[in-house]
Amino acid sequence: MDMNEIKEIFFQECEEQLAELESGLLRLNDGDRDPETVNAVFRAVHSIKGGAGAFALDDLVSFAHVFETTLDCVRSNKLEPTQDVLKVMLKSADVLADLTNVARDGGSVDQARSAQLIRELEALAKGEAPPAAEAPAPKAAAPKAASAPKPAPVAAAAAPNDEGFVPVAFSFDDFGGEEEAMIEHPAYEVVFKPKSELYTKGNEATLLLRDLSRLGEMSIHCNMDSLPPLDQMDPEAAYFSWKVSIRTDKGEDAIRSVFEFAEWDCELDVIAADAGEGADGETEELPMQPVPFDLSALDEEPHAPLGVVEEEEQIAAAQEAVTAAQTASNVVQMAANTSRAAAAEKGAAAAAAAQNNAQQASAAGQTIRVDLDRVDRLINLVGELVINQAMLSQSVIENDSNGVSSINMGLEELQQLTREIQDSVMAIRAQPVKPVFQRMARTVREIADITGKSVRLVTEGENTEVDKTVIDKLAEPLTHMIRNAVDHGLEMPEKRLAAGKSAEGTVKLTAKHRSGRIVIELSDDGAGINREKVRQKAIDNDLIAADANLSDEEIDNLIFHAGFSTADKVSDLSGRGVGMDVVKRSIQALGGRINISSKPGQGSVFTMSLPLTLAVLDGMVVTVAGQTLVVPLTAIVETLQPDAAAIHSFGATQRLISIRNSFCPLVDVGRILNFRATQANPVEGVALLVESEGGGQRALMVDAIQGQRQVVIKSLEANYTHVPGIAAATILGDGRVALILDVDAVVAASRGQPLNLETSLAAAG
Amino acid sequence: MATRKAAQKSLSLAPVLDLNEANTLHGKLMALRGSNLVIDASAVERVGALCVQVLLAGAKSWEEDKHSFAFSKVSDAFTKTTQLIGVNIDHLMAKEI
Repeated sequence: MDMNEIKEIFFQECEEQLAELESGLLRLNDGDRDPETVNAVFRAVHSIKGGAGAFALDDLVSFAHVFETTLDCVRSNKLEPTQDVLKVMLKSADVLADLTNVARDGGSVDQARSAQLIRELEALAKGEAPPAAEAPAPKAAAPKAASAPKPAPVAAAAAPNDEGFVPVAFSFDDFGGEEEAMIEHPAYEVVFKPKSELYTKGNEATLLLRDLSRLGEMSIHCNMDSLPPLDQMDPEAAYFSWKVSIRTDKGEDAIRSVFEFAEWDCELDVIAADAGEGADGETEELPMQPVPFDLSALDEEPHAPLGVVEEEEQIAAAQEAVTAAQTASNVVQMAANTSRAAAAEKGAAAAAAAQNNAQQASAAGQTIRVDLDRVDRLINLVGELVINQAMLSQSVIENDSNGVSSINMGLEELQQLTREIQDSVMAIRAQPVKPVFQRMARTVREIADITGKSVRLVTEGENTEVDKTVIDKLAEPLTHMIRNAVDHGLEMPEKRLAAGKSAEGTVKLTAKHRSGRIVIELSDDGAGINREKVRQKAIDNDLIAADANLSDEEIDNLIFHAGFSTADKVSDLSGRGVGMDVVKRSIQALGGRINISSKPGQGSVFTMSLPLTLAVLDGMVVTVAGQTLVVPLTAIVETLQPDAAAIHSFGATQRLISIRNSFCPLVDVGRILNFRATQANPVEGVALLVESEGGGQRALMVDAIQGQRQVVIKSLEANYTHVPGIAAATILGDGRVALILDVDAVVAASRGQPLNLETSLAAAG
Repeated sequence: MATRKAAQKSLSLAPVLDLNEANTLHGKLMALRGSNLVIDASAVERVGALCVQVLLAGAKSWEEDKHSFAFSKVSDAFTKTTQLIGVNIDHLMAKEI
């Protein structure tokens, strides 16, 4: 592995740390005062600083250092994380992200901005109010000694050393007042009765008891009443049983976990005894053994063929060592502690917090980093497998006249399996939308700053998963929309107050799964769309006739027209007149749809519906002029067999179909795609009612429906060239290539617009 | 005084007294019954509960037989393990050797 690869890993980790940093800061901003949140934030900056130092990224290091110092003040309760403080911190997180990007990709950062933030951070660290705002003076918490009988860890902040570093609050519970602490540890009575199987399976009671002794101070009584004389005994049977009194702060779970691998082969009772009670009578004759030290010799014993217990114990020892090292080096790595450690901490508030965090950490699950190319190759191969399987089953069906052979049964199972494999492989690419949403938080902050508006971004459903390709392509349109929402949607604070709203505007971003698609909603509580203004602008720009009769919805949708902007003057942020037009096209390129609904005075809601993946598609396989086409199922509202009476001519070439008392234009797909020269007779075919952009419906005429199936999308652009009206291609079971219809392009063509490149759906290859 | 001069036998314990050794140790002890026994546990590096059981069962049987059963030398590991598991062998330690 060369230096560049290591550096690349560092930057990948930076991304994760930055995300962690931002979400932590946002949690603090929402009033979360959990010390672990502060620690997580601190840790993120600290890790970035550490890594950057290794690569001599000086700008990054110096900024991270200042940032870290200020965060440390928050961590040690010297600085209260007020909204104003967090504002500076969030901005600093942005700059840190910029610096990281610059370090990776080159370019430059806004030096003035980072210099300003460094000043602000330093001011905060010194206990001064942030220069920009009239924040309440940060309160300097007097260092408190950890001498309380049961020290609340948060309060037990120790005095910072000269560098401003403060030892971590939790760590001190393990040290100070050891004797006192010992006495206060709860006592447990453990009855341990091994069965013979315990030994035959390679477990060893002595090792279990040794592990137990590590948990705290214990006294032990061995019951050997059932031990027979030598000639009557089975040397491999269990006769001894033990009664142990132990005092430990690690809790019952830790005691039980010692016997975890032996629990089926022994009888085990763990009873919490009264803390004040002394050692019980049976054990009096035995001295209390300060076991951890006494056993040092045993630790060095040769490790010959031993059971799981031994390894388990080594791991535990390693963990202990790690924990101790962390405590000593003052690097808070609570997350590294495993659930074992979590189980061990019980009782004190600190322990509870640590437990939560450790649980969260373990809930996050284990991950590995895989090169995206490899995943894509796998997805491609699985796609081929699906096609191959379809081809195989088709040829079996064709050659098997009665259709009930064991081969068919096997094929069905194979089909299910391939489908499952495909789903699982797709799930590998699926990622939560959280990173994109987090980027939006930054956009909102920046725009709010520039426009002087006060904005709160609320996000929901960040963990909704969608294919990585979709996520990657989602950021740009979303940024545009967020900018629009803040710049155009929300009013200035004075105006909001005058309208009886709170001065702070809210922009809400939500994601959810709905019928196999991901729906992303962006709503604001601003003024809503000014329809009069939109209409006037559209007339001025010759988009509509001055006397056009448009519904509210149609007016709202005008904002998606190219070259449309209602902003009186073009600003830096939006209003270049490309915003919503570009947004719509990007969303369509992802195979998605976008809708707007707006209520004057109450705000607007943009709803985007996107496919979960760009690799497969559920489609309706249809025949048009002898060709097989696939129509994306998501576009189809219903299918119907047209009745001659329902078909009406309109103008020279147009035809309408009457469906439930409304008329809908009939679009002959074969004619539009030039598959045939003359229009087909609608009565002989099938009409697919599709939803097109702008909400209007069209009836697509096809000759026949073959069926529904999931198809693997193969990019036409990548393998051939772009074909107008066609989104992509797929390979059917019989090995033939079928084209996937670009419904919106076909509908647009039916309106008289030529089929062009721009409206096509770009499919993932 | 020692009119009945019982034969004294000795047994040196293996370094590792684990599951596999329990049967062997049992066999060795059975073969040594009927005489006073001195056990050398100085080479013991590791001892499992099963072998401790066998040794204690031996001590019991020897006591019934009115023969002496004593440890001459014990290793640190042996002492610590027996202590750990709450088995007191102090009374089995040979005092006057």
